[in-house]
Amino acid sequence: MELIDDIAYTTRGRIVESDAKIGCNNDVYITLAERDLETVMHLLSASAYELASLFCVEGFDAHAAYTLLYAFEKKPYKEIAVFRLPLRWESAPSITSSFPSASWYEREATDGYGIRFTNPFDERRLFLHESYPEGFHPLQKGFKNSELDTMENGEPTGAGEYQFRKVAGEGVYEIPVGPVHAGIIEPGHFRFSVIGETIYHLEIRMFYKHRGIEKLAEGKTPEECVRIAESISGDEKVSNAVAYCNAIEKLCCIRPPERAWRLRTVFLEMERIYSLLGDLAGMCVDVAFPVGASPFFILREEILRQNKALTGSRFMKDVIGISGLKKDVPEDALKQLPTFLDKCIETFEESVEYVRSTPSVIDRFEKTGVIRKELLAALHITGPMARSNGLSTDTRIYHPYGLYEKIKPNVKTVDEGDVLARFETKASDILDSCRMIKKALDDLPSGPVSTDYAIRDGYATSLVECARGQSFHWIWVKNGVVDRYKIRTASFCNWQAIEHAVIGNIVPDFPLINKSFNLSYSGTDL
Amino acid sequence: MNASFLLYALLNTVLVVLLSPFYMGLIKIVKARAQGRRGPPLLQPYYNLSKLLKKERIYSKNTSAIMRATPYINIAVMLVASLCIPLALIPTPTDGIGNVILFLYMLALAKFFMALSGLDAGGTFGGMGSSREMSISAIIEPITIIAFAALSFSLHTTDFHQMFLERAGATAFLNPGLLLIAIPLFIVLIVETSRVPVDNPETHLELTMVHEAMVLEYSGRDLALMELSHAIKQTLYMAVLINILLPWGLTSELTVAGILIAAAAFALKAGLLSFVTGLVESSMAKMRFFNLPSLFMIAFFFSILTIWLEVFG
Repeated sequence: MELIDDIAYTTRGRIVESDAKIGCNNDVYITLAERDLETVMHLLSASAYELASLFCVEGFDAHAAYTLLYAFEKKPYKEIAVFRLPLRWESAPSITSSFPSASWYEREATDGYGIRFTNPFDERRLFLHESYPEGFHPLQKGFKNSELDTMENGEPTGAGEYQFRKVAGEGVYEIPVGPVHAGIIEPGHFRFSVIGETIYHLEIRMFYKHRGIEKLAEGKTPEECVRIAESISGDEKVSNAVAYCNAIEKLCCIRPPERAWRLRTVFLEMERIYSLLGDLAGMCVDVAFPVGASPFFILREEILRQNKALTGSRFMKDVIGISGLKKDVPEDALKQLPTFLDKCIETFEESVEYVRSTPSVIDRFEKTGVIRKELLAALHITGPMARSNGLSTDTRIYHPYGLYEKIKPNVKTVDEGDVLARFETKASDILDSCRMIKKALDDLPSGPVSTDYAIRDGYATSLVECARGQSFHWIWVKNGVVDRYKIRTASFCNWQAIEHAVIGNIVPDFPLINKSFNLSYSGTDL
Repeated sequence: MNASFLLYALLNTVLVVLLSPFYMGLIKIVKARAQGRRGPPLLQPYYNLSKLLKKERIYSKNTSAIMRATPYINIAVMLVASLCIPLALIPTPTDGIGNVILFLYMLALAKFFMALSGLDAGGTFGGMGSSREMSISAIIEPITIIAFAALSFSLHTTDFHQMFLERAGATAFLNPGLLLIAIPLFIVLIVETSRVPVDNPETHLELTMVHEAMVLEYSGRDLALMELSHAIKQTLYMAVLINILLPWGLTSELTVAGILIAAAAFALKAGLLSFVTGLVESSMAKMRFFNLPSLFMIAFFFSILTIWLEVFG
């Protein structure tokens, strides 16, 4: 059954095949009428559709100023279903009762475009903090990037103080933590409501360093935008650059050479390895077991040096380009990579076994920070967080891109959903990445790493599996320049899972739970 | 009080103050080496203290006199408490200054003020640290008292000076009762000095801190005094363990050579104990907060066992 047939079946004929327009990569675009929205959303949610992203675009439909796009995925369909809702007024019904994960997206659209949602779950601001004035919506085309005066007669012009959810009752007290933390870490505020040491409620507030990346991309040429994609999050440079380039390539029907895709896969998996090594090390450090962590730190450093030898940049910056790579890899660095990885695997397996055989560590990891299974789809939790919770999900398998159409990852699924399960899932991901790199390097063809191409107008989605889970990119090129670049990183969805994972745990276990997710702040603070 | 006691007081205090930071640094180095790192220089704790002594102090405007007085109370109490525990030279026993109960109560007094100062600034983490420290204390203090009671039972005195004298003169070094008592004393040392698996002295994660959370608000000279008090406390607990279990070199004779040898012997034995402490810290993760009583129970068990052996053995 095709995706569109499934949609027709799911929505009981409210949507038929002729409503759909097939976009790039066979994605299905369906225009919805506002009166159908709630029913359709309700039916989709009942039929295992997951909201991959929800965002607003200006000037997308001829007869409406703003259009809301609802992007859905459903297993096992490779394609994405995008429902478009042209807005006659700047308001739309909220879909949070069908898809709880829509709440942050709706708040984001309200801040960015001034779209009002009826019956929302949460009406507070999201990425615009208090100091921004009322009626300020930076993603509207009418707003040009410029300096903003947030003070008027010595008074802040913005809304009143942000109201955290209040938990009242005997013995409940609040612990505010952040946004400035000890150590070298990005800003985020955590508001705990605690009884004794037990966490009763947690609210996370982000966006302290919102950089306006989506606005920054507007009007840039597709080539300039690669650098912007690389800046989304420091340790997801390759993933985001590949996701962006992949979208442009689909849009312009560019086929990067085989060598380029193979090398891209090597970089993607190297990035996953060093990122996950940092996670494993962090988890050991946070239970005060640095002896177990140091082999992971050392391995991570060695991988970073290898990256430098391969690409000239420890974090592989400025190497991915549209139609392939910006430059080829030195032959000698490439040649010794498989032997290097074999050595890494040996050390790594020993180090993991050492942690596993230390009872005091396992005691801390076990049964800590469990996510309830019913939240996985509702919050669109992806990556190791989902796989450690019994859900077999991987963008590389379900929405394959590039080489992953030929080489399948062999991901491990663990059922417990606690810190130990995340440790095991991430450890197995590292080993699998090593295997995939070696496979990608087998019979690596020689030849160019990029092709000639011409930019065309249009729009396309692109999904990648970064170390933290699924990232969603949607790009719209108009008149040869980027008109709208929507990014939704894995961290954006997975952050909300932490609020649920900590409930019932004790305060001293929070850093460990947080580290077992190790999400990106900057990937959320676009 | 006679001249020889004054000499002891002077010698012991100087020795405690000079040696204490050294063992803090030594444990850090042992832990760093276990992780494959080089670690800080051996004298880093001294550099830190001298740096802190020069830095300015900053107080939150919510704080009261308790915040300002606690560092002085703490260091004063620790210095007096150090007179209970002779490191190298045992004075002729005088007027109960070596009393076990006195020693424990003085340390409790220091802890009480430290917990108050944690609450004083009204910060998030200070209060959390104080509450955790007091919860731990409520369980470990009775156990400490039982452990020291067992010690007193074994050596038939409640005076440290007498105990050490008896041990220094003893011919049979390996007394099984004393070997048993070493276990609870070591656990008490770990708990009272806020080390893994009870607390993590190296962490930057405020939400997991116990001892460090209480002193977060301190700066400059106050912080130096708090850290020095903490280091002295560690040396005192180490000295109890060392001089009971391995009394070699302890002297009660007022000769220059004897004192020098005794001091060197203590420094060496304390270095060895620091090494063991560092290894123990490196070999395990911190326990989950509510599992701590199970560790304390081990100390309790061995203390009771010693008393039982002494009474019925």
